[in-house]
Amino acid sequence: MPDSDSRTAAPDLPRLGLGLGLRNVHFGHILSEWPEVDWFEAISENFMDSGGQPRHVIRRVAERYPVVLHGVSLSIGSTDPLDFVYLARLKALAAEVRPAWISDHLCWTGVLGVNSHDLLPLPLTEETLRHVAGRVRRVQDYLERPLILENPSTYVRFAGSTMDEPAFLRALADETGCGLLLDVNNVFVSCFNVGSDPVAYIEAFPCDRVVQMHLAGHQHCGTHIIDTHDRPVRPEVWELFRLAWACCDGASTLLEWDGDIPSFAECHAEALKAKRYMSGRFDPASFGATAAAEPAAVSNPVDFLMPKVMGNTVLERP
Amino acid sequence: MTGAPASLDRLEKWMIEALRFPNGAAADAAGEVLAASPRLNVADGLAIYQRSYFQRIARCMREQFPALCHALGTPLFDDFVAEYIAAYPPESYTLYDLGRRFPAYLRETRPDRDAGPDASETWVEFMIDLATFERELFVLFDAPGHEGRPFAAIDSPDDRLRLQPCFALGSYGFPVAVYYHEVRNGRDPAPPPLAESHVALTRVDYLTRTVLLSRAHFVFLQAMKDGGSVADALGTVSDRLSVPLPEVRRSWAADDGVRRRWIEAGFFVESGGA
Repeated sequence: MPDSDSRTAAPDLPRLGLGLGLRNVHFGHILSEWPEVDWFEAISENFMDSGGQPRHVIRRVAERYPVVLHGVSLSIGSTDPLDFVYLARLKALAAEVRPAWISDHLCWTGVLGVNSHDLLPLPLTEETLRHVAGRVRRVQDYLERPLILENPSTYVRFAGSTMDEPAFLRALADETGCGLLLDVNNVFVSCFNVGSDPVAYIEAFPCDRVVQMHLAGHQHCGTHIIDTHDRPVRPEVWELFRLAWACCDGASTLLEWDGDIPSFAECHAEALKAKRYMSGRFDPASFGATAAAEPAAVSNPVDFLMPKVMGNTVLERP
Repeated sequence: MTGAPASLDRLEKWMIEALRFPNGAAADAAGEVLAASPRLNVADGLAIYQRSYFQRIARCMREQFPALCHALGTPLFDDFVAEYIAAYPPESYTLYDLGRRFPAYLRETRPDRDAGPDASETWVEFMIDLATFERELFVLFDAPGHEGRPFAAIDSPDDRLRLQPCFALGSYGFPVAVYYHEVRNGRDPAPPPLAESHVALTRVDYLTRTVLLSRAHFVFLQAMKDGGSVADALGTVSDRLSVPLPEVRRSWAADDGVRRRWIEAGFFVESGGA
């Protein structure tokens, strides 16, 4: 049983509908057009230290839309101490924008004081489970709310792992009361890369704990897939989403588009495609399509988090 | 990494070492730690993380130092980034911190550092100046500012003028701000010759402005940044530049003088007390 009691249980969190990531390149459009979008997900680190435009934008967006804070730097699996400076800033941002929930990833980002700015995989063992569960409890107690954790994209497995990811996340959710963010694209990417079955993954996943789902595009490199978030969702992932949607009881769903980001309208149209996959039977035959191989790209792109400072400055001569 | 199953702590230390130093001993031990998959062997799987670690950071550094990247060309800029993060790996949870130590790193590792001031290479000085300017501008973009509150007006009394919080000054050996804005405007400027330049950086309505300054203007604004009042700063200009104080005061207050221009540019806020 969860041992923290000062919070809403994760499964009781609201169903927000179809949302979009709040990205720098769309700030102007959103503040001028106030598009009809169910909700926005903001990358916590892009706003928590901001004294400038990003903070201004998220305040205004939060006045009109439900907002969720999604982090990439909590490093819940690291053996370095939890960063309470980070958590204090996250908590302060949350107090300001009142997110529906706060999420991050089942991963670690660094150790020995080094931050890789990547979402690195964990060995899935009883030792790791005890370690992560203890940190999830401390974070939840500090933030006074359940933490929602996402399955990451992975490219390697540890030889010493003794559990699969769905079993690990189920045990973690049972022990801590945390909620889960099921990234359907990450399921497809990770399963392809390690040669396992994504349908079996979804069927084994603790879907009763899923608060949110993610969708995104990826790059197929032939021998492996890179999680690039730089293109439309692939048909195989949409089909897997059909299965996940049926299993997750209408969980809030969000499209991530982080590289070569098109117009807001195009991103939104891609998110709304999800409606086509919210009914009908999962069709394994249409699921096995393969894409042409492309050169390897960068996994977990983060440069979309960089503000376009050069385009937002002027020179004045005397 | 042999023998009993490695602890989480050891595995994480191993992996961060393997990412940072792809050709090192840690990476060589990947076969003992990772499991091959039918599609990706251990080395290829690890290589995705290794390659992405560097490229992810390099892309962010190019965004933080776009003019320096233009000046050097991307391959050479990336080489500097690789050496920089080997010496100073990222420590902060925020990507905005990536470039914080870069100007100092360039200064520390300049190839002519032991040659004495007379033998210093001008292109090295230019790189360091440009990196310093770009870092300052990057920080100012998202620093706490004064948006949403009133700025000083033309009729604000001088004794209540204070610099707004989102304000920085820079003094350089090269006209780096002009070079930066040439690049910003899509041009391909040649590295400029040595020439002292002074700039004020400020932000109003979330738009950052680089204002070119004369030396006298720089001295004045530096005195105010150090906490002085307008009267103090005018006195400092008079002393430092050996200009009679009445002349300095006239220049400040003239209808077409800097007082009006700087108030209109949002340099100042009005303090509460007299």
